[in-house]
Amino acid sequence: MALVDATMLARLSGVRLRARAVVEGVLSGLHKSPHQGQSVEFSEHKEYAPGDELRHLDWKAYGKLDRFYVKRFEHETNLKAVLVVDASGSMAYGTAGLSKLDVAKVLAGALSHLLIRQQDAAGLALVAQGRLAELPPRATPSHLNHVLGALETATAAGPTDLSHVADALAERLARRSLVCVFSDFFDEHEGALQRLLSLRARRHDVAVFHLVDPAELEFPFDDPTRFLSMEDERNVEVNPREIRESYLEEFHRFLDETKAACGAADVDYERVRTDEPLDAVLLRFLARRGGGRA
Amino acid sequence: MTFAHPWLLLGLLAALIPLVVHLFDRRRPRVVPFGALMFVLRSQKRTASRLKLKRLLLYVLRTLLFLAVPLAAAMPSCVDEAKAQAAQGAAATAVVVDVSLVLRFRADGTPLFDEARRQAKDAIAQLRTDEPVTVLPCPSSAAPLAPGFDKVRALASVDELLPTASPADLNRCLDAAARALDDSPQPNRRLVVVSPFTSSSLRLEVPAPTIRGPQGTPLKPQVVLRDVAAERALPNRAIVDVKADAAPQAGPKAWQFTVTVRNFSDEALSDVPLELRVGGVPVVKGFVDVGAHATAQKALTHRFQQAGLTRVTAALPADGLADDDVRELLVPVPKDARLLVVDGAPSPNKYKDEAYFVVSALSAAGSPVTPVLRDTEAAWREDFATYDAVALLNVEAPPDEVAARLEKFVAAGGGLLLAMGDRVDPDVWNRRARGLLPRPFRVVKTAVEPSAPEAQTQAARVDTLSSSHPVLAPFSGEAREGLLALRVYRYALFESTGAADDVLASLNDGAPLLVAQRKGKGRVMAFATSLDRDWSDAPVRTAFLPLVQRSAAWLTASLDEREAAKGRVGDTLSLTVPDGKQVGAVDAPSGQPVPVRAGPGAVAVGPLPEPGLYAVEDTGGKPLPELAFAVALDPLASDTERHPAQSVRAWFGEDVVLSQGGGSGGTEAPVWTWLLVVAVLAFFFEGVLLRS
Repeated sequence: MALVDATMLARLSGVRLRARAVVEGVLSGLHKSPHQGQSVEFSEHKEYAPGDELRHLDWKAYGKLDRFYVKRFEHETNLKAVLVVDASGSMAYGTAGLSKLDVAKVLAGALSHLLIRQQDAAGLALVAQGRLAELPPRATPSHLNHVLGALETATAAGPTDLSHVADALAERLARRSLVCVFSDFFDEHEGALQRLLSLRARRHDVAVFHLVDPAELEFPFDDPTRFLSMEDERNVEVNPREIRESYLEEFHRFLDETKAACGAADVDYERVRTDEPLDAVLLRFLARRGGGRA
Repeated sequence: MTFAHPWLLLGLLAALIPLVVHLFDRRRPRVVPFGALMFVLRSQKRTASRLKLKRLLLYVLRTLLFLAVPLAAAMPSCVDEAKAQAAQGAAATAVVVDVSLVLRFRADGTPLFDEARRQAKDAIAQLRTDEPVTVLPCPSSAAPLAPGFDKVRALASVDELLPTASPADLNRCLDAAARALDDSPQPNRRLVVVSPFTSSSLRLEVPAPTIRGPQGTPLKPQVVLRDVAAERALPNRAIVDVKADAAPQAGPKAWQFTVTVRNFSDEALSDVPLELRVGGVPVVKGFVDVGAHATAQKALTHRFQQAGLTRVTAALPADGLADDDVRELLVPVPKDARLLVVDGAPSPNKYKDEAYFVVSALSAAGSPVTPVLRDTEAAWREDFATYDAVALLNVEAPPDEVAARLEKFVAAGGGLLLAMGDRVDPDVWNRRARGLLPRPFRVVKTAVEPSAPEAQTQAARVDTLSSSHPVLAPFSGEAREGLLALRVYRYALFESTGAADDVLASLNDGAPLLVAQRKGKGRVMAFATSLDRDWSDAPVRTAFLPLVQRSAAWLTASLDEREAAKGRVGDTLSLTVPDGKQVGAVDAPSGQPVPVRAGPGAVAVGPLPEPGLYAVEDTGGKPLPELAFAVALDPLASDTERHPAQSVRAWFGEDVVLSQGGGSGGTEAPVWTWLLVVAVLAFFFEGVLLRS
């Protein structure tokens, strides 16, 4: 398996290249998987009826049975996926080469690449400054360009408001869909995560990619520091050595609670360190979801 | 609160350092945009109160550290004396300051006297303005002044105090102080006693001092005890006596010095080096073991090389009280004198031979001469010039030629002793050797026959003695009885010359018994009776040996190297002045002049202020080394054993002792040690807090 780490990705310019590199890594990994599959598979025969596509007529069956049958393929039940990327100010934080937003873009781009490649529909929901910018799910190859283009232009700014996204998605996703959320979940609104996870109750398949920077995990600061908020005007001057223990306790509790909440809601949870190989993240995710089908 | 080093209190300014750092330390913090600020905020909020407390504690601990260290260095101590004094009201105060030898004891390199002076000044400084004060050094011969309100003068009088070399009599000084307080109109009287309270200075078996009450009834005064030794022991060893005796058994000019060492400490001492120095040069060394609170003697013997008055020093290694570890003395080392004893009537029965008694006396220890015995025939052949003196015992008058030689010998400085006997013919003596006799002989008189039953009662007795003459100087006081008990049965009478100044001793009938004269450079002495038991009982009298030895010493001029006078510190010494000399000044070892009062034939020198060798000068400023003398310390002054503090308090009366000084008077507590503990604890907890 050729792992594509964040340092290498940081040297690549743009989401397209980075996503492609990750996809290649993922595909390289999938070939070695015993669960390799196809996105378009024969499912059953159906007697021809007017309106069916003639290109799907099974001429071999007509030769044997003298009746017209139409092949039905599984891809006709295409997955509809919405990739929700948090573009709040805190997502711009990054100490390992890529910011959390960069990692989210790469993961979202690579996943959309994989989905569209297997004829699934991939849409994008960018959440920035409380607004939702959407690309509705499509399975066409040209749509991939739109998705990647939207990811490319996304910048981090403003406060995190996942509850707004959850409400919008719940309203717009009529059909059962896969909702992949890429966020650090630094949302101070009451019950934001719960509202996002409530999509699962609406029979949507929800997967959470919890993005964490190593500096947030380890808090490696010593000298007196003035910390500035990346989402608003708040700042605080502290001696990091004095609060490190308390910070780490708070932060890990937050991580644990987020994971526990996801587990309780039957939501797939993936914690992503921004310094770890992203293809490995996707492979881990795909393997968990059964043989490469997203 | 008093401070040993008040200037170190400037260090208290260091306590401002934490505050200054807190106010002015504005280091620019790093500015870091941080995604997870919400957790930083939460942590800061959560730990804010704890951190605030921690910072406050750190500030307090650091300030405490910077306060405690300079405070401890200034060595403060608490005194609650003012409280006690305030409770008692204004009181006339007498400050009794011990200035005895013990105050020269060095504890931690500093004399106790420095502490005594400091505490005395401290006691005066703490008095209220309406409290009169007087200062009494102890020992002191001066009467104390009445208490006055001039505290500056009182402080100056303390500054002028110097430690003496005498023991203190605190009982007497306290009584004197109490009498001085009696003159004060103040209703309250107070005694402040600044002393180490040694056992020798304060006798607890006598009543404590009292003051006169309103109706003349004795009352106990208030007492403030200031222990300058801070309840510590004062271990001391001292040379308390050195006895110098001639040691002929060890050879000519040999002397034995018996040194008495006293240990005034609770620990036994072993192998203490003891050194004898002659003229400042060590000549003998020994070691002495002394038990705790015990005395030991060590005898050291030395043979001198030269005659004359010699300075000898006995010394121990210096201890806390170095003054009593050295004892100076002057030793009159006699010259090697020879005396030719001419036996005019040798007898096979030695008890009937006067030469036997004389030679025995002159061979005894301490004899100033070496006797050489000859009969007349052999003696007349001797060269008299090889002798210092000649004793003619019961000798028939010498031949003319011998008499002429003897006259020449005496004129040249020799000594001649004549003693009577049956062979002496006065007429022949007068005819052949008139020039040798101090007075011409007249006849021989028999008071009573020695064998007569009434011999003891009818014998002639010694009636008058000239004890001012060096020969008879030892026969004063009780020793005089030794000569007065002499019984003389027969004796020669001398012609009267009109002058009686050459008669050293006379019998009860007025006849001279002992006549001594200077002839030319020599001396002649005539004993009117025999020196055996034929004419008197002199040989069996206790005075015989010293009389013969002193006579021989005088005849050989050994007494000119007179025995050095001895004195003790504080005494007034009577110094006998030789004829023709006049004492102008006497200087103590430190060069301090000593008062001299002239008297007939002697001067009174004193009081003697210090131990050591004193130099004497005549009126022209010329040194008189023959009159130099040594002064020793009073052994009581070396006694550093102390009374327990509780005993002293009990003696004064627990009800009147206001407070008891430990280090600096009153109820003083050495606060600085606790301050050091506080500083160490502050430093420790500051480190703990920083690491927590």
